[in-house]
Amino acid sequence: MELILEQMPIVIRALNVGFIQTLKLFFVTLIGAFPLGLVIAFGSMSSFKPLSYITKIFVWIIRGTPLMIQLLIIYYFPGLVLHTPIWGGGEGGRFLAAAVSFIVNYACYFSEIYRGGIQGVPVGQEEAGLVLGMTKTQIFFKITLLQMIKRIVPPMSNEIITLVKDTSLARIIALQEIIWAGQAFMKGSQGISGEIWPLFFTAVYYLIGNGILTLLLGRLEKKLDYFR
Amino acid sequence: MKKLFTMMLTLVMVLSLAACGNSGGSSDDSQKDGASNAAESSNGQEEGAGDEASESDMEYVKDKGALVVGITDFEPMDYKDENGEWIGFDADMAKAFARSLGVEVEFVEIDWDNKIMELDGKTIDCVWNGMTLTDEVTSSMECSNAYCNNAQIVIVPADVADKYQDKDSLSDLSFAVEAGSAGEEQVSSLGLDYTPVKAQSDALMEVASGTSDAAVIDSLMAAAMVGEGTGYADLAYTIGLNSEEYGVGFRKGSDLAAALNDFFAASFEDGSMMKTAETYGVEAAVVEQ
Amino acid sequence: MSILEVEHICKSFEHTEVLKDISFSLEKGQVLSIIGSSGSGKTTLLRCLNFLEQPDRGVLRVNGETLFDAGDAATRQESEIRRKRLHFGLVFQSFNLFPQYTAMENVMLAKELLAKEQPDYKARKKEIHAQIEAQARTLLDEMGLSGRRDNYPHQLSGGQCQRVAIARALALQPDILCFDEPTSALDPELTGEVLKVIKELAVQKTTMIIVTHEMAFARDVADQVIFMDEGYILEQGDPGQVFETPREERTRQFLSRFTQG
Repeated sequence: MELILEQMPIVIRALNVGFIQTLKLFFVTLIGAFPLGLVIAFGSMSSFKPLSYITKIFVWIIRGTPLMIQLLIIYYFPGLVLHTPIWGGGEGGRFLAAAVSFIVNYACYFSEIYRGGIQGVPVGQEEAGLVLGMTKTQIFFKITLLQMIKRIVPPMSNEIITLVKDTSLARIIALQEIIWAGQAFMKGSQGISGEIWPLFFTAVYYLIGNGILTLLLGRLEKKLDYFR
Repeated sequence: MKKLFTMMLTLVMVLSLAACGNSGGSSDDSQKDGASNAAESSNGQEEGAGDEASESDMEYVKDKGALVVGITDFEPMDYKDENGEWIGFDADMAKAFARSLGVEVEFVEIDWDNKIMELDGKTIDCVWNGMTLTDEVTSSMECSNAYCNNAQIVIVPADVADKYQDKDSLSDLSFAVEAGSAGEEQVSSLGLDYTPVKAQSDALMEVASGTSDAAVIDSLMAAAMVGEGTGYADLAYTIGLNSEEYGVGFRKGSDLAAALNDFFAASFEDGSMMKTAETYGVEAAVVEQ
Repeated sequence: MSILEVEHICKSFEHTEVLKDISFSLEKGQVLSIIGSSGSGKTTLLRCLNFLEQPDRGVLRVNGETLFDAGDAATRQESEIRRKRLHFGLVFQSFNLFPQYTAMENVMLAKELLAKEQPDYKARKKEIHAQIEAQARTLLDEMGLSGRRDNYPHQLSGGQCQRVAIARALALQPDILCFDEPTSALDPELTGEVLKVIKELAVQKTTMIIVTHEMAFARDVADQVIFMDEGYILEQGDPGQVFETPREERTRQFLSRFTQG
């Protein structure tokens, strides 16, 4: 017990560093995937057939293969096969490669959610707007968008919570997120080895993070409850 | 827009096709065991030589101004001090080598399984982390001279250590060993029952938690991590299965390996290498240069 | 001059001809009822008038101005259509109110967006907004919804929703107000309140085209009745004539089904 108390500050410091990486990857992924997902959604709904097919195939490939494989390919492929290591070996490069993989992967998942949300808004809403002399842009921003958001918040919440946990996959290209940091004490690091309790603390970080997210997303859902 | 998408898709397809072709080839390389045939390994060398023909690896590192060293958290070779600074026998020697080249040193923790990919993909410039010079390693990397002696030794719970002091007594134990490590080579050649795990430290965890009876790890690591006053006070090491040596790995065909050999020789000569070794208690294992 | 002239409108979807050579005209202040069984093309006709569909052939004139001529590419331009739509208002069968806006906001939204396009909008912002709000209030009052201004659509009954939708269409002061089966989605006990409002509009000489299955109402409110069948106008005349002495056998059959049922 005393030993644990002694080791605690070391472990917490290491976990904090890892957690910041996890958070960074989480937020960067969201910031990138939200708009990219919308672009992909419009691509797959395009009335220009080749674009729609290509987008759908792309989404199928990304959603149909594990994120872990995508991480490995995106990080190692440029250097190994093209002989141009575009990412660099440092932490920054690994983070960039992880961020790109995550953004592309999650954008594809988001695009399907957006598509469901957009197509779920009744056609009558757009027609009512048209008949009232609104432009397509006005209709999207003044009418469709909010109804779409209301529809996508629940499935989006699920994906976002999953994303928090998925960030740990970035370990495969040695991005030192929080699980890497926690596991280091199992392997042996900073004089602490063979200890599993830091992993429990790692889990607590996830629980707290996801708890806060669940709360916020629930609040957003409630905020949109004023209409049906 | 649609053009962009078309281009992206084409790129993805071309990339994935190329990846298939290549991963087939490289997995052959990496799975090569001690009995690898000569034709294959010469093949690998040609590939490597082709890559480096245009520019020397030394120039490449000097141009970018940093030597990126791939490591894992491995006391006493590479580990972090209280300030998060990488120290250890290997880390300190790597810093000194980089200084001699006139470049910065950058330590990057890697997944040990991916070390060859990291090197060939140029995401790191060398593997300097108490790496045993196995046939697999020497055939896929340009390696320096050996600088440290090591052995693969058996770890068992301390209370039963007396029972396992010779090779014959090991036959009814179940082992945990790091996948692809020198330890795995040893136990499989002895025909022992074993489970490959991700890291040497995981192998220790297995024994500590009772999921395996015994582990085989590097003696240098065992000295630092097992026994009284360490995290694994309840474990003990018994017999050594072999003796082997540590070296530093560079990309196939790299001229940095020779440069490091010169550097080792010079620092052994002036005593700085031994001094560093003494700091980390590994002076007995250092190989004369 | 007629306020609306429709000449030789034809419209096909895939391989089915939905509208076949439709021609009629409507005088200002008159009410036209369109009756006919489902699938006879009534709704498509209304959608063509509101530019939700584009006819394959034919001409559409309002106040003598040619809004649409299938033979003249210039009249088919997307950019022009938005303005042309404003000659018409459309009340949908399923209301299509915007769920995230209150009754007031539903009525005001389109008008406010249009106002923003006026060159002097910025200078007169407050004044314009006040005008729009006052107008919306008056409209909702006239619809008997003065106590419901701040309610959201899901807090209103079907009849109330449809009256908000009528106010919303009237807010843009269209030349011709179209109704697409305005009571079909309502419970029977709620149809009365909507029909009453439409009758009131007829009294005020609002030019209207009403597609409906309420025969008694159609007869009561209309100055002119059109009976459509399989994409054709089969019969056209004043309500007394069409309902009492239909010329066509199909009309007789259709009407007898409704008077019995």
